[in-house]
Amino acid sequence: MLAEPRPNPVATVITHLIQDPQGASKQEPPPWDGMPAPEIDEFGQLPVLSSTFDHVDGLFYFTYAVCIFFFVLITGVLLYSAVAHRRKTWDQKPLSNFTHNTPLEVIWTIVPLIIVMVMFAWGFKGALDMTTVPQAAKQNTYKASAKQWAWTFTYPDGTQSYSEVWFEVDKPVQVVIESQDVLHAFFLPSMRVKRDVVPGRFGTVWFTPTRTGDFHLFCAEYCGKSHSRMYAKVHVVDSETFAKQPWNIVPEADAPIEDRVAYGKQLWKGAGCYACHSIEGIENTGPSWKAGPAGSTEMGLFAKNEAGEIVGTERVVFEDGEEKTVTVDEDYIKESIAYPAKKIVWRGRYKNGGMPAAQLSDDKLSCLIDFMKSLAEN
Amino acid sequence: MTTNTPPVDVQVASPASPREDYLNCSKGIMSWLGTLDHKRIGIMYLIGVGLAFLSGGAFALLVRLHLWEPEGMLFSNQTYNQIFTLHGAFMVFLFVIPAIPGSLGNMVLPLMVGAKDVALPRLNLLSFYLWLTGAVLAALAIILGGFDTGWTFYAPYSLYTNQAVVTIGLAIFVLGFSSIFTGLNFIVTVHKLRAPGMTWFRLPLFVWALYATSLLQVLATPVLGITVLLVAFERLYHIGIFDPRLGGDPVLFEHFFWFYSHPAVYIMVLPAFGIISELVTVHSRKPLFGYKLIAFSSLAIAIISFLVWGHHMFTSGQSTYAMFAFSFLTFFVAIPTAIKEFSWVATVWRGSVALNSPMLYTLAFLIIFAIGGLTGVILGALNVDLHLHDTYFVVAHFHYVMMGSIALAFFAGLHHWWPKMFGKMYNETLAKIAAVTIFVGFNATFLPQFIMGSRGMPRRYATYVPEYAPYHQASTIGAMILGSGVALMVVYLVASLFTGKKAKENQWGGVTLDWKCPTPPPHLNFDDEPKVIHEVYDYSTLDYESLQRDAT
Repeated sequence: MLAEPRPNPVATVITHLIQDPQGASKQEPPPWDGMPAPEIDEFGQLPVLSSTFDHVDGLFYFTYAVCIFFFVLITGVLLYSAVAHRRKTWDQKPLSNFTHNTPLEVIWTIVPLIIVMVMFAWGFKGALDMTTVPQAAKQNTYKASAKQWAWTFTYPDGTQSYSEVWFEVDKPVQVVIESQDVLHAFFLPSMRVKRDVVPGRFGTVWFTPTRTGDFHLFCAEYCGKSHSRMYAKVHVVDSETFAKQPWNIVPEADAPIEDRVAYGKQLWKGAGCYACHSIEGIENTGPSWKAGPAGSTEMGLFAKNEAGEIVGTERVVFEDGEEKTVTVDEDYIKESIAYPAKKIVWRGRYKNGGMPAAQLSDDKLSCLIDFMKSLAEN
Repeated sequence: MTTNTPPVDVQVASPASPREDYLNCSKGIMSWLGTLDHKRIGIMYLIGVGLAFLSGGAFALLVRLHLWEPEGMLFSNQTYNQIFTLHGAFMVFLFVIPAIPGSLGNMVLPLMVGAKDVALPRLNLLSFYLWLTGAVLAALAIILGGFDTGWTFYAPYSLYTNQAVVTIGLAIFVLGFSSIFTGLNFIVTVHKLRAPGMTWFRLPLFVWALYATSLLQVLATPVLGITVLLVAFERLYHIGIFDPRLGGDPVLFEHFFWFYSHPAVYIMVLPAFGIISELVTVHSRKPLFGYKLIAFSSLAIAIISFLVWGHHMFTSGQSTYAMFAFSFLTFFVAIPTAIKEFSWVATVWRGSVALNSPMLYTLAFLIIFAIGGLTGVILGALNVDLHLHDTYFVVAHFHYVMMGSIALAFFAGLHHWWPKMFGKMYNETLAKIAAVTIFVGFNATFLPQFIMGSRGMPRRYATYVPEYAPYHQASTIGAMILGSGVALMVVYLVASLFTGKKAKENQWGGVTLDWKCPTPPPHLNFDDEPKVIHEVYDYSTLDYESLQRDAT
């Protein structure tokens, strides 16, 4: 996350003017691929799917009605007057010359004042309910960890899932939110939940999902390049499905290699590796996992030798104050994920390091490594 | 509407040679670049902010075009982020804040109080050149690679991003001084240079509004200057002020930023209120309803606006008690604002309403501002804001205020004082077409954004979930209509300088001092020192003969 070296400004402008390199993430299907569009209720709004926050919509409709009333009143009088009292001859004098009307002015000061005070009290009561976590929710505490540009969820039993989260229907839940880098926001429109994720602080939100289904989780606070890609699928499921822990089904070591590679690719996407590491040989914030085309400085992690065996590539890293050459292997990868600052790739823009640490269980790591190996080429 | 204009056959003998006015009293480029005349400085500001508006508008059209497709049509995500940031930063810092005080305020305020110039003409010129320096720095920041922080520069992202943040920060710092100097100048001018008989309650409301604005500019802008300096220091020297990894606090940045930027909303909107106050009375030919209440409501808004910054941060995790206070005070701003809107409508009521182009812009303002203000009330309600915060609902709301209200009031004022400024009239038919086009295009752009915002579409998204596509596309079509309306306006306004008919001496029938000096005004504004003997907006004193005389 440290500042990268500034590219040549002239070159930057020219690239922007002539061609706009589409980021690697652009060619991937969007993270919300396969999600159903949420239904819309009879008022044209998202239906409220959490029991506690009905009054968000209650107050919304109340203020909405008040606004429509005043809007019709104001524009009605205005347009009537503009038409009925329009100037027909150039020297026409006004129909009247009144300059004030005290009773009228008192009324249009007092009445709106009373109305907005009702809105204030109602809104504050609602906000208190939304920010006060009940005991039942505290006993079902999730953690949502945000980083550029992915969400990691930790369940009450300590298991984790990436960019996808499962909740049990009708069970109050508290989510403790934290950020590893910049500001993000945890926004679940269907549940009427939003809270900024402030680095250096823990925040909490809570809600009770009342209907099963699949919903959007957005990042609502601007957080950089792939802000709009910082998305998670939210699945609200019944208790039976939940008990099976659908997020925790990792292909076994003896599973078909295609399944393991596919799972590894999901991790690349879901755990946020994609944000910096290309799988198409493109230079990005971090080194590409796949070798670039001929002449590219991107070597990739693994390559195939003449015999067709997959072997690690060599790279220069910086460790303990000196440059070293290492060959990529499973230990190097595991170490680099757990302790990214230990060995920093010593080349160009990568010298600044800045990769956030991640904890992945061994079975997930081995799937991820299988995926990396699947990218090897001759 | 031919009946609206006086018969043209009543001609007053025009002098053989054109009278000397501020436009032709001296010649050469240096007589403009080094001028101390508030009117010429106002024109230079007008050109500057006009160009800034057009470039900000071009960025806006690129943003809207890109969002035609859910996966984005034109740019990579990174470039999109830079474009929307440029749109926001250019519009806010180079156009909306300086536009009305710098151009129309400079032009009209000394005329309205009956002065020969502003109190500190050299400071006025310095203020313009600071604006220009800020604009050059902002352009430089684009050449240095652009910036992608959003116009809010929220830390810690703005501390890390590999972009020209320090350069644009410097631009904002310099622009802040430009704003402070203009405010200072206007305060001194209103206090010291009022003509004999021009009591405080005979001041036109545009002057009152600019006065309230100036107080805000002088008091609030330094906070922004300090904030961008702190960001620059933190980027350059890694002092831990806002970065939590260095012991700083990102929420502190939000407090600092909004402590300026909320009052800044009123720095932007109060001059617009002033213009509308002028225009409803002149074009209804009727005294302004509740003059004193409107004057005091400007000051009330200026004071309360310092106490509501926290309503931009309801989701930031500030304490419940802070939310209580900020929400409560926010609703209080609604009251003086509502009083103004009601009073303007009451002024039009039973008036002699001229449906000319300035008035069409004014009517458009009154309708759009009603929506912009009322949706602000929706956002002021705490729990509703928790849902709508940082969605397109907020985007639509503040565009209804900033673009729909402030820019339209600026256009209204521009059309109103254009004949006074140049002695030329633009093509009134085209002006009416443009006004209607802009009104329709604006609403087509931003009404769909309310709908998708209330359904959860977050702002600042380069790509979006496909169910919002119809609303984005409606919005893009609206933006194209809006853009063509603005383009038409630029064309006929510029054309009027060359081919426009001579304006009338008192084009609209105003009774304030700005309509009592010759058109266009001479270098020192008035041939004789004006004396004010009537109350402001007393249309019984209107000299109907002056409506028939051509500009001298």
